[in-house]
Amino acid sequence: MATYIVALNQLIVSRLAQIPNMVLYGENINNGSHIVGMTRNLKAENGTRIINVGNCETTHVGVGFGLLLNGVSCILFAKQLDFMLLGLEHFVNTYNFIRAHREAGSLGSFTICVIVCDQGFQGPQSSFNGLGDICSLARVPGYTATNLKEAEQILRTQMGKPGFRFFALSQRLFQTEILDLELVHAAEDSSLFQYSEGSDASIVCFNFSLPAGHLLRAKLEERGIECSLFSAHQVFPPNWERIKSSVLKTRRLVVLDDSKSANLLAHTLLSEVVREIPSVQTIVLTRGSDVEFGVCPDQLQVDADSVIQQLESGIAVERQVR
Amino acid sequence: MRKALTDQERQLVLEVFRLRYWQHRMNEDLKKKKFKIPIHVAIGHEALAAAVSRVMLKEDQLVLTHRNMAYNLARAGTLEEVYAEYQLSPAGAAGGKLGSMNLADRKRGVVYSSSVLGNNIPVACGLALAKQVKRDPGFVIVLTGDGAMEEGPFYEGLVFSKTIRLRMLILVENNDMSMSSTISQRRCDIDVQALCGSVGIPFRALRGNDPFEYLSALRAVRSLALEQETPVCMEAQLGSINQHAGPTPGWPTDPKNISLERGLVVEETDRDPLFVLKQRIGEELFEEFSNQVLSESGSMVS
Repeated sequence: MATYIVALNQLIVSRLAQIPNMVLYGENINNGSHIVGMTRNLKAENGTRIINVGNCETTHVGVGFGLLLNGVSCILFAKQLDFMLLGLEHFVNTYNFIRAHREAGSLGSFTICVIVCDQGFQGPQSSFNGLGDICSLARVPGYTATNLKEAEQILRTQMGKPGFRFFALSQRLFQTEILDLELVHAAEDSSLFQYSEGSDASIVCFNFSLPAGHLLRAKLEERGIECSLFSAHQVFPPNWERIKSSVLKTRRLVVLDDSKSANLLAHTLLSEVVREIPSVQTIVLTRGSDVEFGVCPDQLQVDADSVIQQLESGIAVERQVR
Repeated sequence: MRKALTDQERQLVLEVFRLRYWQHRMNEDLKKKKFKIPIHVAIGHEALAAAVSRVMLKEDQLVLTHRNMAYNLARAGTLEEVYAEYQLSPAGAAGGKLGSMNLADRKRGVVYSSSVLGNNIPVACGLALAKQVKRDPGFVIVLTGDGAMEEGPFYEGLVFSKTIRLRMLILVENNDMSMSSTISQRRCDIDVQALCGSVGIPFRALRGNDPFEYLSALRAVRSLALEQETPVCMEAQLGSINQHAGPTPGWPTDPKNISLERGLVVEETDRDPLFVLKQRIGEELFEEFSNQVLSESGSMVS
């Protein structure tokens, strides 16, 4: 099995080979490390043009929307998610102008493929991992690449589609073996993926927490706790009916989100579930309010033993009631 | 003795008169608070707007700022659709979806208008890049101002457009005003010609509000951009002889003092394109054009 970055690079290259007349651009897109391997082996074929550009991210984002307005499909490759904060104004204002009066079918396609520097020890200014924050502010879709099948479907259904979206890679996962999980369900709009069906607990993973959620599920299954495992993306409005059906059955919801944001889509899911389904046991695994701003390991810590203990005690109480 | 105007020159003069008349009418309704939305009248911009609209061919695209009224009126050739847009009516130039500050009339070549200073230059670069990759003819004109050029994307746009050899015109409307501050009240001078020269972009200055000279200069620039595949920058000195957008504390001129009852000319200086035309074509012809325009309902006859 390939490493995460090799597999993702191959998926991106092979998907782009299917779409003619693209503009592929970004800083160092065809020089040096090719953005840490993300843009290696891109081909300027079938009318596609590759443009290595200077350091002006605000302009890069605006250019993408100009291309989209004139019906051209493009990909902006960017090294760090925090660079995209410079384009925030375009995500909100420029795309609002477009969405206010243009039919999606008349537009080109604009995707930003960006690396999230979540590997830790990056320092105070290079570790922004809140893709959901940008997506929420602008109400634009954002997809995180966490495993092979999911990334393949997201690229196949979203890259080249009219309109705008983010596709984000996790640098923490770059040298790990890419996860290849068996899919139980994939939403057509790639907003939600399900990897197992269980009757004891529902685990929902946001941002790049799916690998941690997958490990947690394995440990829970060793203790005889069968879980449904979901991977949710930033798509507005979200459709969580499948998750809610699962929770209705399991009565236990474990939510993982490794974003450092104080405003999580996971919280919206939790509030919906608690409002609509009575007596649900919820376990929330997020970064909390004590996020460090200096150099640090910078990762979501999942205490599997604690989760197991909480779920087992919940299950025991339920059996006593029965 | 003054030379008689050619038919084309008459059309250009009529356009400047109509833009002024229609803006007067908008301003009168602004005074009566007939609009829910903020509206930026552009009295003083008519000569440039008429010349820009005239120089555009079908394949060209125009990208505007929040103060886009004169340009949208020039492209529409009628008052009704722009007025209806300001009333947020489905009959408006953008179906009532975009209002004033973002009004774009795609069927007439106005592709994008931005209310955010500096925002529209990167988008214009993208539009011009799209033309380049699709091998579409024409060029992109993007309006900006002495305030917007203080934003980073102005400089970024110069570098990006020159590097990629984009066929576009970056047109700076220098009205010496950003909200209520003049240039000297907020920053040092910027030598746009020197700035453009530093990245190899041709520069032209526009002064005096003469629509004939403006049209001639714009035609030359269009040819230059297309033939040499280069961005070009122009800086036009003009005045926005009205408030920022409705009543604005501290704004030096008040639209209540601008009244159609006093005639089309607002200011007897070369900041006012109508006054410039009066000097150029003479009192008699000026009265003839005034009477013609004032008798029209709002649609452009030509």
